[in-house]
Amino acid sequence: MTNFTLCIDTSAGTTVAVLQGGEIRSEIHFDENMKHAERIGDAIAQAVAGAKITSARITNVVVGRGPAPFTGLRIGIAAAVMFAEGVGAKLWGVASLDAIARAAFVERGESTASAKPLLVTADARRSEVYWALYSGLTKSGAPVLLEGPGVLKPAALEELLVGKEFDRTQIKINAADLGKVFEAQLLDGTASSNVGALYLREADAVAPKDLREFGKRVSG
Amino acid sequence: MKNLNLIIREAAEQDLDQIMELENSCFGNDAWDSDTMHFEVVAHHTYYLAAFEGPEELPNLIGFAGLSKIPGNDQADIQTIAVSEAARGKGVGKALMLELLKEARRLHTAEMFLEVRADNPAAQNLYLNLGFEHIDTRKRYYQPDDVDAWVMRLQFAKTSIGREPVVLGIETSCDETGVGIVRGNTLLANIISSSMDEHARFGGVVPEIAARAHLEALKPTLDQALAKANLSLKDIDAIAVTNGPGLGGALMVGIGAAKALSVAIEKPIYAVNHLVGHVGVDILERGELQTPTVALLVSGGHTSLLLVRDLLNDVELLGETIDDAAGEAFDKVARVLRLKYPGGPEIDKAAVGGDPKAIRFPRGLSLPKDMEKHRYDFSFSGLKTAVARWVEVAETKDEPINVADIAASFREAVADVLVTKAVNACIDHKVPRLLLGGGVVANARLRELAQERCDAHGIELRIPALNLCTDNGAMIAALGAQLIMAGRAPSSLHFGSDSTLPVTTVQTH
Repeated sequence: MTNFTLCIDTSAGTTVAVLQGGEIRSEIHFDENMKHAERIGDAIAQAVAGAKITSARITNVVVGRGPAPFTGLRIGIAAAVMFAEGVGAKLWGVASLDAIARAAFVERGESTASAKPLLVTADARRSEVYWALYSGLTKSGAPVLLEGPGVLKPAALEELLVGKEFDRTQIKINAADLGKVFEAQLLDGTASSNVGALYLREADAVAPKDLREFGKRVSG
Repeated sequence: MKNLNLIIREAAEQDLDQIMELENSCFGNDAWDSDTMHFEVVAHHTYYLAAFEGPEELPNLIGFAGLSKIPGNDQADIQTIAVSEAARGKGVGKALMLELLKEARRLHTAEMFLEVRADNPAAQNLYLNLGFEHIDTRKRYYQPDDVDAWVMRLQFAKTSIGREPVVLGIETSCDETGVGIVRGNTLLANIISSSMDEHARFGGVVPEIAARAHLEALKPTLDQALAKANLSLKDIDAIAVTNGPGLGGALMVGIGAAKALSVAIEKPIYAVNHLVGHVGVDILERGELQTPTVALLVSGGHTSLLLVRDLLNDVELLGETIDDAAGEAFDKVARVLRLKYPGGPEIDKAAVGGDPKAIRFPRGLSLPKDMEKHRYDFSFSGLKTAVARWVEVAETKDEPINVADIAASFREAVADVLVTKAVNACIDHKVPRLLLGGGVVANARLRELAQERCDAHGIELRIPALNLCTDNGAMIAALGAQLIMAGRAPSSLHFGSDSTLPVTTVQTH
């Protein structure tokens, strides 16, 4: 197989991998959940070099769509869009929580639908979490979403899931897992070219009710 | 020059006596004899400059410098440079060097060499900042002091591709997604996608909305720019991207995109300063930037007054707003007057038929006491408050509010203070040129008043086309192309965004 897939995720740290037919050819991880703009160029360059190929050999680009805090997430998506454009590769989007779910199910040793669902959460800042509940993996190895994704205060999430049985996972996002979800989705016919960011929250802004409010405030 | 009435011109035979005096005082027993100096100054393969200070009738030589370039050889040498002890630390050496570099470029020099004492870090830093590298050390070169010499080299052609570079510029510092393409000094495409409408209901730019819009707009804007230039990404020689100043989250979208593109097409990347880009854009219309020039950059995010002696090497911030940007003041006053966003064009419309002298709104930082500390700084917060208060008082008294008069008077106050300070800067620094940039330049009254005052003072006014004045990618591409043609090395892939990037940092490495 000569198809090389570049996988990028900036939903937490900056993680980039190159896959070739299910094999990981290289992976680069910068753990800080800041500095994505500083890291992304080196991460991609090192991942491509680590796979001992030139950029032009990449035929698919897969990017994590979050959900995640916005600023970092956007950097990975912008990079994926432009890299695909630059080398003429196909562009694909995968939910970042899917990659964590897949890794957790694989670690649990279950490659097909499992008995116990899995709750995947990620820090959403402002004392909230992003979450999604998965039932297991398809035969190809793509996670099956049960509920979510959403963003909630931890207490509200517990309330929502009360009485349900599920496992949790501490696994961190890895771009290679993202690529494996994509490959499974490709086999299942569910791979998506939608790379829109999963913000799950509106942009922070409140339209002023009284347009003269501001004038009153400064003069009062 | 700061605090100096500096005149630089080509040196001639009649300057020799003064040059020898300075040579002897600067170099002591290492000085050249007058025959050698005479030959150097008059020879055809050399170019010597003399720097004078003082009254025009009786100028005093304070420095000289020379380069040598044998015709047919693409290497040049800085032969000597001297600045009198009293005039040191005032930028005279740098000014001389910049002129020599200009001449070297004109002579199609590929590499320029110089030697500098290993114990002179001030001079070494000057050369390093101009793009020279330390390539060799000659042991005990300077005798009898027994001091090593650094051999330094500037490679004009280091990244040169033997033709004018095609550069793609990406700009995402505020609410405009700009992608521009230039070939050398020539504009090929300038596509701008604005998220302005999405901010309208908030009455100002919302950073998160701007950043989200950049992510959506980047690819279509790039595609349009390539189509307009009739090029593919294979034709691009380098990528330039704004890394500051601006909104952090917005800048990072452009940086992520530009870096990935750079790795994908395996072409160098240049991280450049947004404000310096606004100045450099004049190159696309005139083929060159005439220096020195004062630049007044006015937008929703910036109000800055710059003194530009050299686009790549010598940009000085004279002053800036200490609170709101001028464009912000327009937006806020528009809200007070129940006008739409963006405020600039709305206030322009509302001011038609209004009397600009109806209300004397305050001119920020223009009182004598402010002028000492903030001669070139701006403040629009008090003006905006004054308008709000005026409206409030009128409402309380149930007096009719003449929106046209208020809009015209407010606009007059903004234009007056902007132009007064910019013209002052030109006069104070004996700079016969003023360049305007930024979105507020769209304001008709500002342009009109700038033209009147510049004409009155014999100052040449430059106003680039409006789509080059507002934030755009073409100006970023143009600045990138200038860096490449000056032989600057590309930026690394490590740079980040810098919301408050100073104008002295033209390129981030």
